[in-house]
Amino acid sequence: MARYLESPRMDRRKLLKLGLGAGAAGLMPLAGLKAETVTTRARIVILGGGAGGMAMANRLAMRLSGARITVIEPRATHHYQPGWTLVASGLWQPDRTLRPNADFMPRGIDWIRQPAVGVDADQRRVSLADGSVAEYDYLVVATGLQLNYHLIDGMSTDLIGTHGIGSVYASLESATRTRDAIDEWLAKGGGKGLFTAAPTPVKCAGAPIKMTFTTLSRIKGAGRRDAFELDYLTPGTAMFSQPWIDDFLKRRFDDEGIQRRHYYRLSAIDPGARQAEFTFVGPASEFTSHHELRQEEFGREGEMTEVIDYDFMHVVPPMSAPDFIRESDLIARVGPFRGEWLDTDIHTLQHNHYPEVFGIGDVIGAPINKTAASVKAQAPVVEANLIAQLQGQALPARHNGYTSCPLITDIGKAMLVEFGYDNDMAFLPSFSFIDPKEESWAAWVLKDYLLQPAYYAMLEGSV
Amino acid sequence: MQFSLAGILAVLSHAIPPFLPLILAILAVLVLAQLIARLRGYRMSGHHCRPSAILALLAGLSTLWWLPLMTHSQLGFVATLTDWAALIAAALGVALISWLVVHPLSYLVRGPSRDKDALT
Repeated sequence: MARYLESPRMDRRKLLKLGLGAGAAGLMPLAGLKAETVTTRARIVILGGGAGGMAMANRLAMRLSGARITVIEPRATHHYQPGWTLVASGLWQPDRTLRPNADFMPRGIDWIRQPAVGVDADQRRVSLADGSVAEYDYLVVATGLQLNYHLIDGMSTDLIGTHGIGSVYASLESATRTRDAIDEWLAKGGGKGLFTAAPTPVKCAGAPIKMTFTTLSRIKGAGRRDAFELDYLTPGTAMFSQPWIDDFLKRRFDDEGIQRRHYYRLSAIDPGARQAEFTFVGPASEFTSHHELRQEEFGREGEMTEVIDYDFMHVVPPMSAPDFIRESDLIARVGPFRGEWLDTDIHTLQHNHYPEVFGIGDVIGAPINKTAASVKAQAPVVEANLIAQLQGQALPARHNGYTSCPLITDIGKAMLVEFGYDNDMAFLPSFSFIDPKEESWAAWVLKDYLLQPAYYAMLEGSV
Repeated sequence: MQFSLAGILAVLSHAIPPFLPLILAILAVLVLAQLIARLRGYRMSGHHCRPSAILALLAGLSTLWWLPLMTHSQLGFVATLTDWAALIAAALGVALISWLVVHPLSYLVRGPSRDKDALT
């Protein structure tokens, strides 16, 4: 098993932070700077070093003294995934989204660079790809989710960037190839574009809508709007979980001449013929509902299907927790997330059956919340509740379902949509001077320049 | 979602470094212009030069055009009160910095005699 103890680098940014921090220290009472440190010998395993895992590693490393914290993360590079829509829209260079994981990994933790392949929740053990195991007293599941392209017949990630197929979700390379596929379509000077949505909860649920709007923006910029046809095909009646935004988007799509087709699930692709088969899933299926995603449901005989020709298609795959989580005892057994997502209490983020297990990020079974912004809200909750659990106390913190979508409506303007699953998806604006119902340049600048720094500060446990 | 002061500083610590060379270059030009002019007798209140004020004003006004463009946007998308407040604040900042650079430079170009004329 390859293990490395990483020493944080003192780079220019950290020096700047020290300077800013020193300035801040004069302005703030000391108690406000750091929560109380807790001493423990507990073994804490953090499964995954993405947004949630890295934030938890830093937060727990700061709060716990003597704990043996292990992060299981095979990748050396950290991807700023919220930037992939900007890469696919031709606005960012791909390498702008990359940073070494070592930049964020806290000092003194054990970093296992192996993929996890199984969890034995009863024995409190995580199995690794090399056959070794990591034992834990407390487990933070932060694996992210799995993209199930294989549930669309004929689709694979190798096709992205070829045959007019794009998909911003698969990887940075896929986002770049999606950009190239859109460029190629625009260069043709016309044709039909299909933008799909998935029948499951997805990470960054606004991404398919953003891709539609940025592509439309480029078409209009080229002065060729009439030569291009855009269809948006979604399995449910809703386009967005927040009701006001859902109404806004439907009106905007209609105004822009983007044809909305509801109850359409992408079921198969014939790349050579540039044809896509959609299955009519019926009004009972809602975009925001969480029906089971069983492989045998797909391609069931007797369902209505429609084959549509396309010149470009943006594919959004069905998503679920990773297979090794789905096959473990940690998966939900009942309820809307059964068989697909981690079984957590959506407010405490504690596992519903294993109190020593907590979940954070995309993997948890929650109505919405598969965004980096949600991780920012979840991380302090998991930190407080895990430490309380460790001390045998009642869990003090509660997550309100906060999520945020900087919803790009054109290249150059956006809406900062912040809401949560408490109170019927009510808006939860962070800034009184930015109205979530208004398109603005300020929200665009936030997306383009400030959310990435905020994300990195979140990884460090600073916000 | 609230940000503490420490949190805001942490975000700035990641946001500023990509722009640090540009910020330092502007500061260097500003300090050099002021320093050299002052060593040669320049005083801000004693030197009057209308063209430098006009240039600074034009630089500030041009911000309304190039700043949205620099952010992959356009002036037409500057719509809300917050948008305009931010853009006008940036324009005022650019105008001020431009004046602080151009004003001493005008003294260096036009010389102290002009300064004397202005005082009389």
